[in-house]
Amino acid sequence: MKKILQISSVLLFSLLWLIACKKPYDPPEIKIATNFLVVDGNITCGTNAVTTITLSRTTKLGDSLLFNPELNALLYIEEEQGNVFPISEQGNGVYRSQPLNLDPARKYRLKITTPGNKNYVSDFVTAKTSPAIDSLTWKQDGDVTVSVHTHDPLNNTRYYRWEFAETWTYASLFHAEWIVKDGWIYVHDSINQIDSCWRTANSNNIVVGSSIALSEDVISDFPVAVIPQHHEKIGKRYSILVKQYGLTEEAFRYLQLIKKNTEQLGTLFDAQPSQLKGNIQSADDPNEPVIGFISASTVTEKRIFIQHDQLTNWIPVYSIETCGNPIIIDQNRTDYRIWDYPDPDYTILYYIMGGTMAIIKKPCIDCRARGGVNVKPSFW
Amino acid sequence: MPACRRFYLLITLGFLFCGLKISAQSSKRISQQFENLPFSVFAEKVETITGCRFYFKPGELDSFSVTVKAEDITLPDLLTKVFANTTFVFSIDQENNVFINTKFTVQTTLPKDFFNTNKTTADTSAIIKQPFFEQTDDRKKIVAQENKLYEIGVKQNNAGKERAIIAGYIRDGKSGESFTGAMVYTDTPYVAVVTDQFGYYSIALPKGRHILQVNSIGMKIARRRVMLYSDGTLNIDLQDSVPSLKNVTIISEKKSNIRGLQMGAERLTIKTIKQVPVVFGEADILKVLLTLPGVTSVGEASNGFNVRGGSTDQNLILFSDATIYNPSHLFGFFSAFNPEVVKGFDLYKSAIPEKYGGRLSSVLDVSMRDGNSKKVSGTGGIGLLTSKFTIEGPLKKDKTSFIVGGRTTYSNWLLKQIPKSDYSKSKADFNDLNLRISHTINNKNSLYLTGYISNDNFKLNTDTLYKYGNRNINIKWKHLFNNKFYGVAIAGWDHYQYDISSDENPVNAYNLKSSISQGSFRTEFNYSPDNKHALSFGLNSIYYKIKPGSFTPKGQQSLVTPDILQDEQALETALYLGDQYTINSKFSVNAGLRYSLYNYLGPHDVYSYVNGLPRDKTTLTDTTSYSRNKIIKTYHGPEYRFVARYVLPNEGSVKLSFNSLWQYIHMLSNTASISPSDIWKLSDAAIKPQRGYQVSLGYYKNFRSNTIEASLEIYYKKLKNYLDYKSGAVLLLNHHIETDIINTRGKAYGVELSVKKKSGKATGWFSYTYSKTLLQLDDPIAGQSINNGKFYPANFDKPHNANFVANYQFSHRFTTSLNFVYSTGRPITLPIAIFYLGGSQRVYYSERNEYRVPDYIRADFSFTLEGNHKTKKLTHNSWSFGVYNMLARQNPYSIYFVQESGIIKGYQLSVFGTAIPFINYNFRF
Repeated sequence: MKKILQISSVLLFSLLWLIACKKPYDPPEIKIATNFLVVDGNITCGTNAVTTITLSRTTKLGDSLLFNPELNALLYIEEEQGNVFPISEQGNGVYRSQPLNLDPARKYRLKITTPGNKNYVSDFVTAKTSPAIDSLTWKQDGDVTVSVHTHDPLNNTRYYRWEFAETWTYASLFHAEWIVKDGWIYVHDSINQIDSCWRTANSNNIVVGSSIALSEDVISDFPVAVIPQHHEKIGKRYSILVKQYGLTEEAFRYLQLIKKNTEQLGTLFDAQPSQLKGNIQSADDPNEPVIGFISASTVTEKRIFIQHDQLTNWIPVYSIETCGNPIIIDQNRTDYRIWDYPDPDYTILYYIMGGTMAIIKKPCIDCRARGGVNVKPSFW
Repeated sequence: MPACRRFYLLITLGFLFCGLKISAQSSKRISQQFENLPFSVFAEKVETITGCRFYFKPGELDSFSVTVKAEDITLPDLLTKVFANTTFVFSIDQENNVFINTKFTVQTTLPKDFFNTNKTTADTSAIIKQPFFEQTDDRKKIVAQENKLYEIGVKQNNAGKERAIIAGYIRDGKSGESFTGAMVYTDTPYVAVVTDQFGYYSIALPKGRHILQVNSIGMKIARRRVMLYSDGTLNIDLQDSVPSLKNVTIISEKKSNIRGLQMGAERLTIKTIKQVPVVFGEADILKVLLTLPGVTSVGEASNGFNVRGGSTDQNLILFSDATIYNPSHLFGFFSAFNPEVVKGFDLYKSAIPEKYGGRLSSVLDVSMRDGNSKKVSGTGGIGLLTSKFTIEGPLKKDKTSFIVGGRTTYSNWLLKQIPKSDYSKSKADFNDLNLRISHTINNKNSLYLTGYISNDNFKLNTDTLYKYGNRNINIKWKHLFNNKFYGVAIAGWDHYQYDISSDENPVNAYNLKSSISQGSFRTEFNYSPDNKHALSFGLNSIYYKIKPGSFTPKGQQSLVTPDILQDEQALETALYLGDQYTINSKFSVNAGLRYSLYNYLGPHDVYSYVNGLPRDKTTLTDTTSYSRNKIIKTYHGPEYRFVARYVLPNEGSVKLSFNSLWQYIHMLSNTASISPSDIWKLSDAAIKPQRGYQVSLGYYKNFRSNTIEASLEIYYKKLKNYLDYKSGAVLLLNHHIETDIINTRGKAYGVELSVKKKSGKATGWFSYTYSKTLLQLDDPIAGQSINNGKFYPANFDKPHNANFVANYQFSHRFTTSLNFVYSTGRPITLPIAIFYLGGSQRVYYSERNEYRVPDYIRADFSFTLEGNHKTKKLTHNSWSFGVYNMLARQNPYSIYFVQESGIIKGYQLSVFGTAIPFINYNFRF
């Protein structure tokens, strides 16, 4: 009987295919290192507007490299009438123009020359005018949702994109009397403080919306950002800056596709993916894929603040590893002001009478170790 | 054979009772006018007049009427007059007993057909005149039947040019089961007809003598000598071909391949199906289907099949007239058709008869056996995963029979025995049950009741339980108006449902359900005024009701918000008329017209979108609610069916067909992944019916006295309004499914080559198919382009397919079988690069279906050992052993990509990634 059961087990092993014959799949098409140009950004029109473009290259599947910047490229904006405006390199694939006064009534395109002396050019795009953001509102329904309200009295914009930057302040778990700077220990003061930090994070979702089905160009209560309940972002005070761009219909569809292609990978009910066709071409090889869709638009923005005490049932959960007990170190110090503890993950907590000191993991006392800066932003 | 003897005695008694007692003088003269009198009445009158006593077999003479004028003549003179030009003779003995008999016919063997004589006379009007001898040997009985002259119809003296019709059933002499597709023909003149689904035939022949021959695969050719007087019935029982004969030449279907009007049609009987080795040793109709030319599937163990570049939802799958929406068990490991109750199947790929409609690509008509009408018998099978049991028999002998078949798995029990707990949470089982009751009310009316239930449950080491099942029931009434005209009415209800549930986390516990039901009513009429025309016409009507999806909390603690999609309903009605016209023995055509009308009915909400812009949540403008049974949208149109056949001088034939079809129901299935749930969608205001056109041309030729059958067919198809999906389409629980669907136009073309050898020790077939299916975006408001608007391969486009199936019979008890499959890998859209945009890592995909998964190659082998062939054993049993996927090739079934710790990785899944041995034990009693 035992034998029969074993044979049956072998059979069932095949039957349970989800567990059975699964092996890595990497055909040559996937293994070749693709190196397509990726263009991310918007030609910003309006008064004293700065255009920021990010250039990068695709990486092959299975690569752990997150971002592969394209360096040393030459970029400029070309107006239909022929004027050109250079965009200069800032490092790490970011290129930024001087404050320009591009007329939103005109058409623009982006030209790129990569170090390999390859030329890329986008289609001429009609600039869109982003109307002012009427208001940003938020409501709490467990999570906090921030919504945008806008309208275009001329009914011209219709398609919108929003980007946002969130800033929040937070405190260290322990109060610091001392701070370490360049290997020396200083007294903590209002400038050299590590108790309170401000952290800023940019949106990592593509947020687009449209009013095309409405008789008027009105965006009402459109959710832009969601802060999950109990998130440390609103542990004390939180601020969000929403930037609004107008889009052409083509740009809107393109961004929607990107969203759908990648935000649903690996589920049981996979969506059918498809190739992206942007508006940037290689001047040398029309078949070379280039990723990205260049739009031109004015930008409008608005900022709001949310206080922790405005929320209900919000117990901030901090992403700090357990601090544990302070470690007492007893070194034969020549100078009590010198910080020479070898482990960079630790910093001073306090002195103990007699020259001994207690140290603790940095994130527990130095708020900067948790991604923020200890300088209050100007808008705060 | 005690049964036979008893029967004989009974008949003999009957014979004696019928004798009329009288005594008188034979010299008495008679003067009387006899006008159209049944013979028995005539005999009675003559007995009264002359005092003689008639002895005759009433069955022989009950259809013989007498019209004669006697003017002072003697009894012998009168009878001479009466029997002139008939095959009857009489003799009068000294005691004035008149014996009516048949003319002496030269016979080399003694006719010994007790059993059959009785049967034929009992339910037909054929008149058989043979002396009665008891006969116990079957073979002699057959010889007797074949040498006997069957007289059909009312005896008249007008044997000549006029035609009369013989009709009847072709059945298995042992079980009473009818034969579909058996060929009934005469050689001079060459007239051939094929039996229908009931095994019924109707053939028109000039009055007079003929030799009627009947061929059906696997059975001995039956010959009947008939004397045709007028329209009449002749039922013919076929005998199993005895495999001990050295050369069993089965020519019936071979010839029908060339002579028949079927084109792009495949017919296989369960005998052939059972010879092909399949995984787990269970004869599987779908697996065998996939070895035929022009039939492919997206992958191993996937649901459904693709015919000539059509999608899986373009096949109408009928199981004894019931529409089966999911023909597979356990993701396709087993087919829904229990081989023990299946008689065979017909697959129509190009010339789809006009009586079928509603699907574009093919019709798979799986027929179910009638129960044995003569004795109770059963079969059973024990495999490693499944067991099955079938019992059948008469409820009333020769009148009512039943067959019940069931299958079940004990895989759950096996799963629990596996020591490693990897599978402890897994579950996989199915069961199904078939029932059929056939009832013959009388010669003219028969009723058939068919029911089918299947259930599938599986849980693959996750907390999610999948369940699905088919429910079907129908009743069919066949009525013979006369030999030329019969009708069938079928009323049925078909249902398919699935249910996915999860209850691991009580807070998230849910039920996800969807179902499709249809109530249908069909009538079919067949009228064959003569051999030149065979008309068919009828009405089909289907009422659909779809529950597209409901997502509901499971249990008290669940916080899932219910999400229920509105039900959909529609009525599809079609009228059809077709004529099969045999112009001469070489040239025949079949032309048919079907007109279908489709109404999408309320209650339903219909969304409107901004005109000329892609349908999208952002372009949604308005919602209109329609009330119950309100017509929301109507589509209608004609469908044409045409096929012509010409027999060439070299005995080959050429056939040409044209088809146009409409399909109102669509299956939403994203084949980019494994979806256990298919959602059916009715055509509505936004989703137009699919339409298809097909032209095909074929050449058929048989070699080596019809033992090798070869065919070459080419086809070209066009598709309109075929559905494909937008990038990122969400099919499940989508309230605005029209926003994720795009219309495409498609074209498919290909060549199918097939060589079959169906007789001899070595049998089998080889088929090669080249086929392409290309789609092109055909939607001005798609809002996105797929492959720049160029043609792209469909998901199921697999250009090269080759299949080889071979069986070799070493002895009566030992048979081996080999199966080889090759096909091009299916197309796939690959993620080819990663990029960073808008603050996240994203995936860049190739053009849609730009690449292909590796080719599919598989070989299987099996051998079957039969028990000894003693006929008197209590049970007959057989063992089959085999290896599935002998080459242990890891054929990819699915390829998918997952994000693992921030890195995207691809995986290939093989269903049967290794050689799988199997063993099966079958018994029958």
